[in-house]
Parts: sequence; C-alpha cells; structure tokens
Amino acid sequence: MIRLIKAELKKIFCKKSFYIVTILFIMYAILTNIISKEINVYDLNNERLDITEAENTNSNLDLNNPDDLLIYVANLTTIEIGKTDINSKTSNQLYLNHNYLYPVVEKLNESKYILKDEEKTKELEIEKNAIMAKISADDYKYFVNKNIEELKEKINTTTDKETKERLNIRLKLAEYRLKNNISFDSNNYLNNAIIDIETDLVEYRNLKVKKNLTIDERERLQNLDSMFLKNKYILEEQIDINNTSTVRYILSNFNSEFQIFILIYIVMICGSIVSEEFNKGTIKYLLTKPFKRRTILTSKLLTILILIPLIIFFMILIEIIIGGIMLGFDSLSIPVLVYNASECVLVKYSCFNYLFMSLVACAPIYIVLSILCFGLSTITTSTSAAITITFLFYLVSEVIKNLALIYNLSILKAFVSIHWDFSYLVNYHNNPFKFDPFHSLLIVLGYISVILCLTYLYFSKKDVKNI
Amino acid sequence: MSILKVKDLNKKFGKKEVLKSVSFEINEGDILAFIGPNGAGKTTTIKCILGLQRLTKGSITINGYDIKKNFVKAIEKTGCIVESPDVYMYLTGYENLKLQASLYANIKEESLTNIIRLVGLENRIYDKVSKYSLGMRQRLGIAISLVNNPNLLILDEPTNGLDPEGIKELRELLLKLSKRGMGILISSHNLSELESFCNKVCIISKGEIIEENSISKIKEIDENKYIIKVNDIKKIKKLLNSNDKIIDDNYIEVIKDEKEIAEFIKILVNNNIDIYEVKKEILTLEEAFMNRAGGKKID
Repeated sequence: MIRLIKAELKKIFCKKSFYIVTILFIMYAILTNIISKEINVYDLNNERLDITEAENTNSNLDLNNPDDLLIYVANLTTIEIGKTDINSKTSNQLYLNHNYLYPVVEKLNESKYILKDEEKTKELEIEKNAIMAKISADDYKYFVNKNIEELKEKINTTTDKETKERLNIRLKLAEYRLKNNISFDSNNYLNNAIIDIETDLVEYRNLKVKKNLTIDERERLQNLDSMFLKNKYILEEQIDINNTSTVRYILSNFNSEFQIFILIYIVMICGSIVSEEFNKGTIKYLLTKPFKRRTILTSKLLTILILIPLIIFFMILIEIIIGGIMLGFDSLSIPVLVYNASECVLVKYSCFNYLFMSLVACAPIYIVLSILCFGLSTITTSTSAAITITFLFYLVSEVIKNLALIYNLSILKAFVSIHWDFSYLVNYHNNPFKFDPFHSLLIVLGYISVILCLTYLYFSKKDVKNI
Repeated sequence: MSILKVKDLNKKFGKKEVLKSVSFEINEGDILAFIGPNGAGKTTTIKCILGLQRLTKGSITINGYDIKKNFVKAIEKTGCIVESPDVYMYLTGYENLKLQASLYANIKEESLTNIIRLVGLENRIYDKVSKYSLGMRQRLGIAISLVNNPNLLILDEPTNGLDPEGIKELRELLLKLSKRGMGILISSHNLSELESFCNKVCIISKGEIIEENSISKIKEIDENKYIIKVNDIKKIKKLLNSNDKIIDDNYIEVIKDEKEIAEFIKILVNNNIDIYEVKKEILTLEEAFMNRAGGKKID
C-alpha cells in the first residue's frame, strides 16, 4: 500500500498542471496581500462632506418661503463645514469639524438668517473662531476636557440611574482618551473602539434593560454585546484586533479567502487520479501489478486524503511567508476573539489555533467534494466530467443551502450541504438550521459511505476495454 | 512445468459471446504465437489472463495460482504489454521504469540498468517519453514488462513500431528469455516474424481456438504450396478451389497435401491440360494460418 501511495504522489508531483495551479495560487496570494495592504478599513471613516448637492439646492430656493429658508440654512452649514474639510489635513481635524464645529456653525447660521439675533450671532462667531483655532492646532484635548466637564455636570444633575450609568461610561471613555493621548484620528484603533462604543451605547443599554425582546432585537443585542466586549478588550489590552491589513486577518479568514484554490486543487487531483489512468491506458500496467483492485483504489483514496491537508498546509505556509513579508509578522501573535452568545463572553483563540479549528470545521466540505470527485473520476473515467459535475454540485449546494434558509422543506434538509459546514461550532454561533452536530455528522458520513461503496463496487467489477 | 493454463475460457459482453471455450497452455521455455484476425478475441483473452477483464466462465491458472482466487500471487511473476505500451508521457523513460519497479519489492537499481541495456535504450532513457518514437516506447514497454523478473511474459503486438533491427533484437531477447525458462505469449500481426522463433502456435478465430500445436506440426499437418505451369489457364479456372490462385497466364498456385496434389494432377491430365512444371514450396506460418482460418487475411 505504501509503495502504491508513494507512486501516486510521484505521479501527481511530476504533473505540470500541479505547478501551474501552484504558481497561480502564489500570484493570487500576493494580490490578496496587496489589496489587504492598500485597502484599510479605517479609511472609510475618513470622508469629507460633499457640498455640491447643497450648493445646487441652495441656488434654487426661495428665501422668502420659511421652509426653504430652513433648508437653505442647513445647506449653508453643510457647505461651510465642507469647505473647512477641504483645508483639513488630518482625520482628527475632520472629526472635530463634524462633531464640534458643525453644531456651532449650525446655531450661528440659524441665529444669523432665521432668528436674526445679531448679539447671539456675534457670540457664536467668536465661539466658532475659537473652535476653528483649536481644530487647526489639532488640539483635541481641549474638546475632550470640555466634554469631560459637561459629562460631570450632567452626572451630578441626573437622577435617572440608567442615564447616569450611560454618562459614567462616556466619562470613563473620555478620561481614557485623555490619559492615553488618543486623538480623533480615524487610523487609531483605540479611537475607533471608543467611538464605536459611544455610537451604539444608547441602543445597547436600552436593549439590555428591555424585557421580551423580539428575535431581531435579540440578534441585534448579541451583535452589540459582541462589539462592546471586543472594543472593551481592545481598550484594556491595547491590541488592534480589527485591523484587516494583517496576515493574521487573512489567515483567520483563510477558508473564505482561498477556498476557490482549495477547490481547484481538489478537483484537479481527485478528478484525474483514476480517470487519467484509463484515458492514457496506464491502468493496464497498474492493474497487472500484484495488488487487489480495492488496494489500488484505497491507495489512491489515501493519497488524496493525505495530499489535500498537505496542500492546505502548504497554502498556509505560502500565505504566512508572503503576508509576513508584505504586512509584517507581528500580527500573528494577536489572538482571534470569538463571541460566545450563549454565555455572553469572548472566547480567545491564538491565530493558528483558530485557523486549525476553522479548517477542521470545514473539513467535511472538502472531504465530501474530494470523495465525490474521486468517485466520479472512477465511475465515468472522464476527468472533465468529474471536474464539471463536482463544481456544479458545489454551486448547487450553495443554492440549496440558501433555499433551505428561506423555505422550511424537509427534502432540502436531507442534502449534504446543509450539514457539512461545522464552523458555527468554532464561532459559537447557533446552527442556522437548528441541527444537532452529531446528526449532521451522521448525514455527512452517510453520503461519504454511499459514494465510496458505489465507487469500490464499480471499480472492482469494471472491465478494462480497448483504450 | 505449466506456467499458464487457460481452460474453457468464456467471455460475454452483454449477450455477445466474444470468447468460446478458449483453452491453451504455456510451459517453461515456450514461446507461443497467439494469432488471429482482428476481432478474433486475442486481446480479450490476454486481458482475461491479466485480470483486466472478468471471466464469464472457465479458469486461468498462472504458476499454479487461480487468478480468481489468488490474483496477487498469480500476477506477481507476470510481465506484460497490452495493446500498446501506454506509459506516463510527462515522465522520462527512466522515471517510468522506476515508478513501475517501485510497485514491486526489492528491485535493485542494477537490475534496471541491465534491463535498459537489454532493450537498447541506454542513450535515451533520461529523455521525456513524449519525445520517444513508437518504437522507443515499445522498447520501454518491454523493459517495464521485464522489471519484476517475470517467468511469464505476455506481449500483445510487441513488434508494432519496431524497425527491422529492433525486431531482430526483440527476437534474440525473447529467445534468450525462453532459454532461461520464461514462458512467453506473443500476439502479433506479423506472422512471418513469429515463425522464426516461436515453438508453439495458437490460432484463434471468432473467439474460438482453431488450432493449438507446435509450429512445425502446423506446417506439417496440412499441405504444401505447389506452383504448377500449364498451357491453358482458362480451362483450369473451374477446377480451382478458394485457396488456390492464378499467378499469370501460365502459372497457378495450389495448396494441397501429397494425395490431393496427385489427384489434382490426374484431373488436369484428364481435362487435356498440359503440365510443364510442378514445383513444391514450403508454406510460411501465415500461409498455413490463412489456410486454417479459411483464407481470412490477417491485417
């Protein structure tokens, strides 16, 4: 058996197609890392206000109409802030423009054009200039201190326990910002964690105290809870776990990033391992060696089951090398955090542990597809048929999975693709179809057994006709 | 000692019976010429012997092991080329040879070198097989079939693609191997090449064995070829049978045994045909076979 497996491995490693796919994979990995490096998720927060639409609208408004005047004043604020944005050099300044300058300019315009209160306008003009001076000096601490003062005042005057608690959280965040010198720079992960918490704090606290939540509300609460716990972890540990421009991020999403190449390797190897012997006539030499047919077929099956994990390991290694060179190796020490919804806690995995667990959880997908392709290759003795049908099966499986999520049809639930992905266990999610993992495992094993039985039966009885 | 024993072999594809009670035997040192026209069942028989096709009925024993009951032991000391030497084109000749050798236990590098020398591939063995001519692939196929030091060698059309020098070398090689006690089954279209070194012949037609005998007996059994010079070829036409033929205006060729030729000459004389010359020639194996197979041409 070992002799047969060695021979099979030699045949595979001597094929040009294997190296062509490997070169394509390396190129794909390089591109993935370039894209990951160039597209930083934080840049999305760095948007300037678009003033064109506001300018166009204002040119067509009748200022004698009170409603139009309100729109005109609002647009005027947008235009002014937008123009200030253009001169802003840092994302810190942009944030301050939108969150501290904007309300003052809004009030100023209201006073100037609607209330026509000259004194107030003058006061606000002075305040605006002071704020602008602080913004252009990038003096975020001025605003944080001001915020702290306001929060303290509100806490002292508030009697509602829930509101007080919420304000206390905000106060703690502001003090944390000040203590750790965290500006409003959108590229600073600590700043983003603080802002994320502040943005959803009200909704989160409300949902937490609310009784009889709907399904959607419960789901939203879980998402918010996960987000809060993760941001809390970021602030406490000062570790950037959300950075997408890291090799750790790519590895923790390995299955989705590189699944297409895993599938290509699977169909390339499994689709030809038996059929090619028939097509090229070499099966005659193979079957006239002193081995039983089932031994020969088992050796091919074992070759696949040994080789596919090795190839995945090789792919990971390549990604670590390429990603490490391009994005740095440091991120590999950062853990992957997964939210356990049933216990409302974060589960911490090391990057490699998470990768391993995810691959094991997805292994049934790859095993079923490998065995299906192997079976088709044996039964049809046509490489192209085996590859095409396997790919179609995979595509149809995805469709059936989506259909099963929409329609509650029992026939769909017997399909293997509803059961073959166990990654919900690693990510502590509920099974989307409410199946017991053991039940799913039995169905997957059932499919594998049926395909293998048919394949062995066919191969052991097959006559080698003229080639 | 019997190396290969095929007994009452029957093979059906669906309802079509392609082999009917095929039986023959190969002993140590035998070189059996397995001959028959296209579609007669030669390759099917070979495939059944090698376990590539299942038997519908009958038994095949190699080195005393029934292939149905103990295929692994039966095939262990068998080498073969079936139809054509199909090897891995993306590998070199040496890699192919080594790959096949790796499937047997304890095959030494030295024995591979000897085999390569034996088939005359020393200069091209490290080239990719995709660059080989058919003749070179045939040599490689023979090398592969010898890799396990077999005592039964089954060669289906091994002379295909070989040049005259290659055929001569193959003949010498097979004679050498048979002298070592190897039993060889060889099927070929080129019957004239077989008769010079085969000691047995097995003729198959439409899935049935017509004759299994030694080469010399096959030739003796029947008759000889007679070239007869006559005066009037027109008169003689109606007296000829299907195996006989007119060579030109004066010469005819007939295949008869001694009694028949005497009778035939009497008939010619009685029909007032002048006979100028009667020349006896020895039949080639192909002519003998054609006579056996009812004049059916081997292609």
